[in-house]
Amino acid sequence: MSPRALLLAVLLAAPGLAPAHETLHEIERGRAIGVKVYEVGEVMAGAPYQVFSPADPRIPWQEGRTDRGGWLAFVPDVPGSWRVKVIDDTGHGIDLRVEAGGVPAAPAPAGSGAAFLLRPLLGLAVIGAVFAALYVTYRRKGTRA
Amino acid sequence: MHVPDGFVSPRISLPALAACAPLWAWAARRHLGHASVESLPVVGTLTALAFVIQTLVIPVPGGTSTHLVGVMLLALLFHPLLAFLCESLVLLVQALFFGAGGVTVLGVNALAMGLLGPLAGWLAWKALRRPSEKVALFAAGWLSTQVSTAAVLGALLLQHRLDPGYLPTPPAVLVTAMGVPSLAVTGVVEGLYTVFALSLVRKARLRGVDD
Repeated sequence: MSPRALLLAVLLAAPGLAPAHETLHEIERGRAIGVKVYEVGEVMAGAPYQVFSPADPRIPWQEGRTDRGGWLAFVPDVPGSWRVKVIDDTGHGIDLRVEAGGVPAAPAPAGSGAAFLLRPLLGLAVIGAVFAALYVTYRRKGTRA
Repeated sequence: MHVPDGFVSPRISLPALAACAPLWAWAARRHLGHASVESLPVVGTLTALAFVIQTLVIPVPGGTSTHLVGVMLLALLFHPLLAFLCESLVLLVQALFFGAGGVTVLGVNALAMGLLGPLAGWLAWKALRRPSEKVALFAAGWLSTQVSTAAVLGALLLQHRLDPGYLPTPPAVLVTAMGVPSLAVTGVVEGLYTVFALSLVRKARLRGVDD
């Protein structure tokens, strides 16, 4: 294979082969379960908590601290009884069970499918168009001069 | 390697953009124009190649990944200023279509990956090419990666020093997460890529590229 052909092959094949170095996100409303915790009428703000999945009751599915309003939230991926433990620095807290009903099937992750392959090709097309425009512009100017 | 949007405050991103603006104008005036018509197809192809190279993720132990930059070729074949201009275009396309990097941090990333890295590599190649061309090319690729990484790291460490609330990641974590992959993996692969790709381009005897 000639060097030019090899360069061309790499250029055309690589975007389809490689995952892009990117960070994506998606917003889905209505899937999370929120729990607000109180202690003698006061919200437990900034209290450490652990959430255990029914699929693995030993290793926490999620850990963190409640927000200023005393809320914590988690997104169950399996139905069943989820355990939520909130224990503050003084040792007070709560250990409760939260029932999660039918869990909707997870949507395809963003960035999958044809769009994921098309975006690198779109990037290449943009770069190609920029240089093609420059080439045509300067060539025309040169012809007129 | 990119600094993502929101990781550095306007106290860093705005001066970086201000520094880039005259450099972009100077680079475009110097390297794009009627005299450059012959080389534009090659420059465009190598810019597209750099874009592709930057989408190839190299997995690194520890759950992270790294990638090559790939504009060293433009610096070696033409000039570091042209590499800066082309890398800026690549970064802009990545920011708009991939969410990699970002428009507000375009200046920081362009200075780090487009100017400082290729400039350091070009100087290393100039200094070392007489004893051995291949060693000089490898050193250029390796050094450009280290300098680009150090510049990105410098921006992040500066942000942490200015306002730890804005970037709470501890400096030791930043240095380890960026420095180790760059020294051990990315630099070596970038060096090998530079040697290999430049020899291919030279063998192809493309129009607009001086031997």
